[in-house]
Amino acid sequence: MTFSLANSKAEPAAAPTQSAPADTESEFTVSREVRPAPDRYRNALGKYKINRSADCVACGECAKLCPQGVHVKPDGYTFTLRPLDHLCIGPDCAKTDHFCVAKCKQKALTLMRNPSVDAMGDPRWTADLILSTWHMAATGHVPTSGLEYRHGASGGGFDRMDFNFPAAPTKVDPAKVDTTLALNRRNDGRPQVNIDIPVYGGGMSFGSVSIHTIVAKARSATAWNSFTCTGEGGYPDRLKPYDEHVITQVATGLFGVREDTIQRVRIVEFKYAQGAKPGLGGHLLGDKNTPAVARMREAIAGNALFSPFPFHSVYSVEDHKKHLDWIKEVNSRALVSVKVSTPTDVDMVAVGSYYAGAHIIHLDGSYGGTGAAPDIAKKNIAMPIEYAIAKVHKFLVAEGIRDSVTLIVSGGLRTADDVMKAVALGADGVVIGTADMVALGCVRCACCESGRGCPRGIASTDPELMMLMSLEWATQRLINLMHAWRERMVDIMVRLGVSSVKDLRGRSDLLTYAREEAAL
Amino acid sequence: MSDQADLLLATRSQVYRDEEPVEGERAEEGGCGVTGFACNIPVRGKFIYEPSIQMQNRGNGKGGGIAATGLVPEQIGVSREVLDSHYLVQLALLDATVHPELEKQFILPNFDVALSTRQDHIDDHRDIPGLTVRPPDVHRYVVRVKPAVLKAFAESTGLQALSPRELEDEFVWRNSYRLNDTFYASLGDKRAFVLSHGRDQLVFKIVGYAEQNVEYYKLQDFRAHVWIAHQRYPTKGRVWHPGGAHPFVGLNEALVHNGDFANYHSVCEYLRQRNIKQQFLTDTEVSVQLFDLWDRVYKYPLEYIIEALAPTAELDFDQLSPEKQQIYRQIQATHIHASPDGPWFFIIARNHPDQKRMQLLGITDTAMLRPQVFALADSGDVQIGLICSEKQAIDATLRSLAREDPRFCPVADKYWNARGGSSSDGGTFVFTINDENGKKKLSCADKFGRQVKLDVGNVRCDQVKRETPSEIAAAGTRKAVLEALKQGRAQDLFTHVVQNLPGWPASGLRDFCDRIVESCDNGRSKATAIEALTLLYDRRFDTGDKRRSTVLPVLEETLMRLFDASPLLGQPGEGSFRRLNWDSRATIVAPQAGEEVLLIDAEKFPPEGDDCDAVYLRRAFQAGWRRFIVYRLRGQRFTGVGLGPGTEGVRIDTYGSSGDYLASGMDGEEIRVHGNAQDQVGQIAKRGKLVIFGDVGQTFMYGGKGGEVYVMGNGAGRPLINAVGRPRVVINGTCLDFLAESFMAGDPLNGGGFVIVNGVEFDRRGKLVPLAAPYPGSNLFSLASGGAIYIRDPHKKVVEQQLNGGVFGPVTDADWRVMRPYLQENERLFGISIDELLTVDGKLLSPAEVYRKVSAVSLAVLASATEKKK
Repeated sequence: MTFSLANSKAEPAAAPTQSAPADTESEFTVSREVRPAPDRYRNALGKYKINRSADCVACGECAKLCPQGVHVKPDGYTFTLRPLDHLCIGPDCAKTDHFCVAKCKQKALTLMRNPSVDAMGDPRWTADLILSTWHMAATGHVPTSGLEYRHGASGGGFDRMDFNFPAAPTKVDPAKVDTTLALNRRNDGRPQVNIDIPVYGGGMSFGSVSIHTIVAKARSATAWNSFTCTGEGGYPDRLKPYDEHVITQVATGLFGVREDTIQRVRIVEFKYAQGAKPGLGGHLLGDKNTPAVARMREAIAGNALFSPFPFHSVYSVEDHKKHLDWIKEVNSRALVSVKVSTPTDVDMVAVGSYYAGAHIIHLDGSYGGTGAAPDIAKKNIAMPIEYAIAKVHKFLVAEGIRDSVTLIVSGGLRTADDVMKAVALGADGVVIGTADMVALGCVRCACCESGRGCPRGIASTDPELMMLMSLEWATQRLINLMHAWRERMVDIMVRLGVSSVKDLRGRSDLLTYAREEAAL
Repeated sequence: MSDQADLLLATRSQVYRDEEPVEGERAEEGGCGVTGFACNIPVRGKFIYEPSIQMQNRGNGKGGGIAATGLVPEQIGVSREVLDSHYLVQLALLDATVHPELEKQFILPNFDVALSTRQDHIDDHRDIPGLTVRPPDVHRYVVRVKPAVLKAFAESTGLQALSPRELEDEFVWRNSYRLNDTFYASLGDKRAFVLSHGRDQLVFKIVGYAEQNVEYYKLQDFRAHVWIAHQRYPTKGRVWHPGGAHPFVGLNEALVHNGDFANYHSVCEYLRQRNIKQQFLTDTEVSVQLFDLWDRVYKYPLEYIIEALAPTAELDFDQLSPEKQQIYRQIQATHIHASPDGPWFFIIARNHPDQKRMQLLGITDTAMLRPQVFALADSGDVQIGLICSEKQAIDATLRSLAREDPRFCPVADKYWNARGGSSSDGGTFVFTINDENGKKKLSCADKFGRQVKLDVGNVRCDQVKRETPSEIAAAGTRKAVLEALKQGRAQDLFTHVVQNLPGWPASGLRDFCDRIVESCDNGRSKATAIEALTLLYDRRFDTGDKRRSTVLPVLEETLMRLFDASPLLGQPGEGSFRRLNWDSRATIVAPQAGEEVLLIDAEKFPPEGDDCDAVYLRRAFQAGWRRFIVYRLRGQRFTGVGLGPGTEGVRIDTYGSSGDYLASGMDGEEIRVHGNAQDQVGQIAKRGKLVIFGDVGQTFMYGGKGGEVYVMGNGAGRPLINAVGRPRVVINGTCLDFLAESFMAGDPLNGGGFVIVNGVEFDRRGKLVPLAAPYPGSNLFSLASGGAIYIRDPHKKVVEQQLNGGVFGPVTDADWRVMRPYLQENERLFGISIDELLTVDGKLLSPAEVYRKVSAVSLAVLASATEKKK
């Protein structure tokens, strides 16, 4: 297994702040090759700070020494540049022979923890998880030192689960580990849809996020032969080259839904509810309803847009079946996914959806995020996904239909470790949302829904803010993230002695409850 | 009297076991289809078969049941007196060996048994396709409670003040409870339970479809005045019990239910506070327990029972008289926790043998979340009332009745919806069969007892034999018809009938239609004929003494003759019409030169799925066809769906009972529905033209984005909800409620959308009369942020309380300029003239005096931050 360390000396994939011209999107194939995509900001946030005192004589030794590229003294410069300390691996470096602090003859360098990191993150998305995700998005690999990238510090759920790695696992060749997933298990004559990784992108509407975010997700999905989802805002024209990797979402406000947008895709997702706001429908606040957004949704700019909490045409399970029949009638080859939140009878909902004709049942747990909902709703209702997965999986097994339907889960899945734990609990695959946003530079400031939206231009359609992020850079960040995740998934499976994601499903015996914070 | 009620309830503890009631997991209900009809003559079980099978797609075959009320004594094997006085205790035996034990424990000690019979059934249930679970054996006892037993019962409970019959009713109820407890509720393996125990009423239920009850138990010829049926769609569990299927019984009532309560536990608690415990753990069981409590124990009049179930609120409450308000407040305060919360629609078959009265009721929840249709037909000697989840099932029932018994008409005289929780009808209609001078008569009333009156002609056009008309008259008609057909003047044919029909003999219309058929070839004259007959079918005009519901079948039959005479697609033939039916469906080829119209006979196609007629229509479209007539529809869904964008030039006409989701997603085509339309019509419609010559059902144009739409009659609940873009809609009647909620359709004066509501209907003479209220509901244009409503309201009956975020304004010249072209087209299509619309109390007024505009108000909470700063 090879790691390549953060290498800021290589040319980055694209200048982070340029907007890619539209004609580069005429290519239908997108490579999943890892290319460096460093942080957008020259002085990015990192866990550690290196201070250089006035004792420095600019000898340049540190620049020759540091393999991470923290110290840089370009040719012809008198002085070294300000340290790129976000690349520093921290106190672990003291064990090596290239620790700049020790080697500096002038003793001009000091290493300390960056106090900003203490202000960052929360128990679910810790500073370490955020920084790790940035690292993976920049390099395509998990961090090698100093950062806890496997779990958060919430004290519950996935953070209290460990893998039960056997002492002598069955030998598995990493190159042959199968991470693919087949999505149609109904044997109903509709085409099979295979994805190369058990992950696809969650629905984020044009309106809740920018067009760059949407297209980057589509391009990354194309590279990994997986999917992204339109969310409830309609089908932007710029997604059309990626039709084969887009899921059209039909949500309760029916925004942007036309026969055309249903007919062009391979999967249609009914969003009955969303874990972040179960029972509440959607609420895009007025300022995010820009003229472009309003045009796509055929509504009035500046007004808040509500999606009702139920489908008004579905008030009973036979209505649900009729509803699925309708979409299947419009598109005779598409698979249907039913996305629901996690009330206490989520198992009943899952079974009902199966009998109504769904191919995929998508559970969205309460820790999911949203770019279009008021604060009062977030995180306060419905069941965390960790409970829901096991409940639904066992119920479907008892009903004898587990292998006729695909169970996809979402709602706060942050890492490759979370993905593997979800599969071990009983899911076939997962959908991610926030993790993609963090990969694009999100700091979890939670300002997505109001005003002009995201100050980093990720979850915003403000014409000025969205230019803070280029499409090419965003695309590469997501591709890199999936690469890192896949590497980690393979690593976990090899250590568990399991050769495919399908074999890991439901293997909760390979999980154990961690009394303390996991220490591997 | 209330002391007796309390005592009755309190002493039920004698029946309960000591242990705490099973805090069971509620059996998952979910959805279903419900239907029922009541007739003044007994009707064979065969006829509950039709609507049930039409609603198979609302169930999943895991539970189906029927109830029959108002039976024929000979078919039970007893005399009239015995049938009226005795209880029919009907048992389902899931385990055959249980019978002797059950009889010994619960029947023989308590009852004088007049008759004990085993229900006949076919030999092998597997002979019924799709029926996989063997139905229970059914045993029936015709009984009275032994006098000594009754006396002891009165003493042990202290209920001597009850009348003998009331005492006996309560005893029977308790006996059944204990029987169920012993042999069903408390057991893992269910052994037996009571299907029904009322007088002159029987229930059958199985793990299967409702109509399979009729087939298995050989009830095709079993006659009853009132039938109800239910198709269940349970989703939980791999083992289903017939005990979970509907109907559930109180004492003399059987109830079926479409919907799902959110407050099941609250209702259970309310019942338990009154010492009523549950055994079958379904919403439906507690529904009928509530009904029985309020009816038999508290002795409320029906109006109060309905109020407790579906409380009147908002503007409707304000419109009640002060006396009513006071009573209703009391009822609500006492019983609100029992009022089921959530989508529900009940159909109840009820018997009052001592008053010789039978009833069929339909009650809808206050938010009208389930579809419901009522229908009434009166042929003088036979009268029938029908209730159903879908109109197409009503049509199927009437058609099959009419085929067998010419006294019935295949079309009802009136179809309508109830408005839940309203002061106008209370969301309830009741068909009552009473004895009048030895004959049974059916009448229909709402919650408040207001009668539904039919104003129809009494001369039938459809039953007459074809007499040889007088030479002169025949010649005259023939000449007129020939001329008009030759010249393509459908309007002349239409006018000829309109002018002459009132004066014609009963056979006149038939003759006219025969002339048309014999004078038609397969070309232009056929098209003219179809156009003329369709005009006659669609338009409302004075039919004189001819009953309109008999005029329509004659016209429809004639149209079918013309359609059926067309050559099949792919076969050699002349003219511009080609035809596709179930048997010929594999042949879809492009239209040859001169072939223009594809007729699709929908009759045998399944209602949905890969083989439904909508799929074949799409294939024909892809092959090049543009003009379609879909006929003999029997509730098939998705007509016009899946054609994709850019369908200008496509025109689809539908005849028959169209189904749900018609015209959804339309993006350029023109669709005309000749008759009423059902639910989910025009969802996400984007462009094109939709014309409905009748009423339309639930969530019409939900999420609609555009389109030019005309509705001759009424909309049901939630039309145009969440619509955006630029739909332009004319609704000539009104809507139940929630019209244009969350409408976001821009500025109507600047390319945006709007709805014109005229609030009028046709009387029997084809004259336009205003409805009692232009808009009766409490939620007009709620939370809307764009678009507008133009409502015809010269007397300003619509008030501000009915708006939730809208504001009244005048209709200006600019508004009228935008409205007028649509009202002109409305006039061309329906014969509803603008002048008539602008005439109020005989005077022609200006648009501003007749119409009012409802626009969106800029709510601060909805606006953007930048807006707020202004």
